[in-house]
Amino acid sequence: MTATVSTPAVGGRPAKGAVPGPAGRSPRRNTEKRRQRTLTWVLAVISLFTVAPLIAVAVLALSPEDAPTLPYALPSSLTLDNIVRIFNVGEFPLWLWNSFLYSAVSVVVVLLTASMAAYALARKRFPGRNALLWAIIATMMVPVQATLIPTFILISKMGGVNTLWGLILPTLANAQAIFLIRQFVRDMPEELFDAARIDGAGEWRTFWQIVLPLIRPVLATLAIFVFLWHWNDLLWPLVVGQSDAARTLTVGLATLNTETASTSNVMAATLVSFIPCLVIFALLQKHIVASITHSGVKG
Amino acid sequence: MSVNTRTRIKLAGRHPELAAPPLKPFGAKKARNREALAGILFVLPTLVIFGLFKFLPIFGAGAMSLTEYSLNGDFEFLGAENYTRLAADPNFWQSLRVTFLYVAIFVPFIIAVSLAGAVLLDKLVRFTGTFRALLFIPYLSSFVMAGIIWTWIFSTDGPLNAALVGLGMGPVPFTSGPQLLVLLSLAVVSVWKGFGYSMLIFLAGLKAQPAEVHEAARIDGAGAWKSFWYVTLPLLKPVVFFVLVIETIVGFQVFDTIYVMTGGGPARASHSLIYFLFDEGFKFFDFGYASAIGVVLFVIVLILSLIQQRFFEGKDSK
Repeated sequence: MTATVSTPAVGGRPAKGAVPGPAGRSPRRNTEKRRQRTLTWVLAVISLFTVAPLIAVAVLALSPEDAPTLPYALPSSLTLDNIVRIFNVGEFPLWLWNSFLYSAVSVVVVLLTASMAAYALARKRFPGRNALLWAIIATMMVPVQATLIPTFILISKMGGVNTLWGLILPTLANAQAIFLIRQFVRDMPEELFDAARIDGAGEWRTFWQIVLPLIRPVLATLAIFVFLWHWNDLLWPLVVGQSDAARTLTVGLATLNTETASTSNVMAATLVSFIPCLVIFALLQKHIVASITHSGVKG
Repeated sequence: MSVNTRTRIKLAGRHPELAAPPLKPFGAKKARNREALAGILFVLPTLVIFGLFKFLPIFGAGAMSLTEYSLNGDFEFLGAENYTRLAADPNFWQSLRVTFLYVAIFVPFIIAVSLAGAVLLDKLVRFTGTFRALLFIPYLSSFVMAGIIWTWIFSTDGPLNAALVGLGMGPVPFTSGPQLLVLLSLAVVSVWKGFGYSMLIFLAGLKAQPAEVHEAARIDGAGAWKSFWYVTLPLLKPVVFFVLVIETIVGFQVFDTIYVMTGGGPARASHSLIYFLFDEGFKFFDFGYASAIGVVLFVIVLILSLIQQRFFEGKDSK
């Protein structure tokens, strides 16, 4: 009886350090082994569903232009011609640059202004603090699409249509960033700030040398999600960046797709647009996974 | 004698008793004023950004929805006319029907896939990290990219129809056929792109479940299926509800895939609420009317958020 209970499978989860029975190959262990093998196969099939479309993009992007052979056969040779072409013909490099600026500038400004605000909202007493905090949190309930029209009118009155600053400015208001950082700063021990005060550190120095280094983990997480969100955003760039001067990759890709561009070109552009996301994921996978499972950041 | 700030911080972290006591209120009022000034200065950039680009547009949306607003900035107050016009506009009801239908397909679909993925990953012992990454990767792509890939997959000479024709069952007009098929195809794309996120939330929920409960179920003779249905799922209910609300809100905001794949067609079969807003605003420049559509969207999302909050507060107070 006890032997059965102490065997590896605990609700399908082998307990760490569970000692196998004296025989080493109990029937239950064999069942578990078979089950693990089935499980691996099922997951391999699901992975095919998630990854195969991405592999198809890469293959199509690297196939010779006049003979895209998928889905009937694999290409006989691979070439970088399509990728070289999209960088030399048309406005693709400009879109790439615009997307990069849209994402990078937003990350830097959002992180800086949000952590400053979060520090003040968590640690400083000033009139109107709670009202402001409440108002910022309340804006999280308003979908961006609901304020699309007035935001566009505002930017157009400021002369920001088809400009990069017009594209970037309205997206700098990020309530979620403030909310998350504030929780971090609020949980810091008061002694930290007392110590800084005693040593005569000014407000800015306290923020720059004490708060910022300590909130680095949450800043890293936010940087990833703010970047991905901007890099992949469509509706706002579509509305405000109607000419190439402020057109981002997503908007450019969408127009390429509806125009008469060849499949090879569209797929090459798609592949290039995905590479930064892939690099970020490869480098920071643990961070991304941990932040979703712990705080539920919505990218 | 003077310990520098860094050391003191280190000490304060580990031994609170070694940290210096807080300053005695000495010129307390002056200190309070300085603190308030610092707070306001730190919050100022955010205040300006939010004031201009969040608070103002939110009130602007409500105000504009009561006007006829033209591109050059002239406007005329209409009262509730935009809303009565909406109520009488068959295109509005069509877009609402499309959106609800899409949500009804998309939400159960994405929950089933992400829950299945999470359960399988939870039970897997080896290669967990690899499979988790492989299942999560599409989440990094944009809806535009997902739309472009799947347009090709669904096209008449794409791989899916090649296989179906090979089986003598094609070609199937995935993105230009009957409404249910088109909405299902759009849902497939969004599930492919989005399920990794919910899957990770489910996975965290599963890992947090106490192993003893499952052990007890197993001793009582419950098989894998029964154990999932009667033990795992009831314990996971709050997480399921959280994901349900989040994905419903995502579903109501569907736009990018429609813009790339169907353009709202065929014959308005996929003309969702946001697509309707986009058309009225940036095709017909009927800004007042489009703002009213935005307000309707806001009300729908608000109701969903309130239900979510209600649910979680009710659970906490128990």
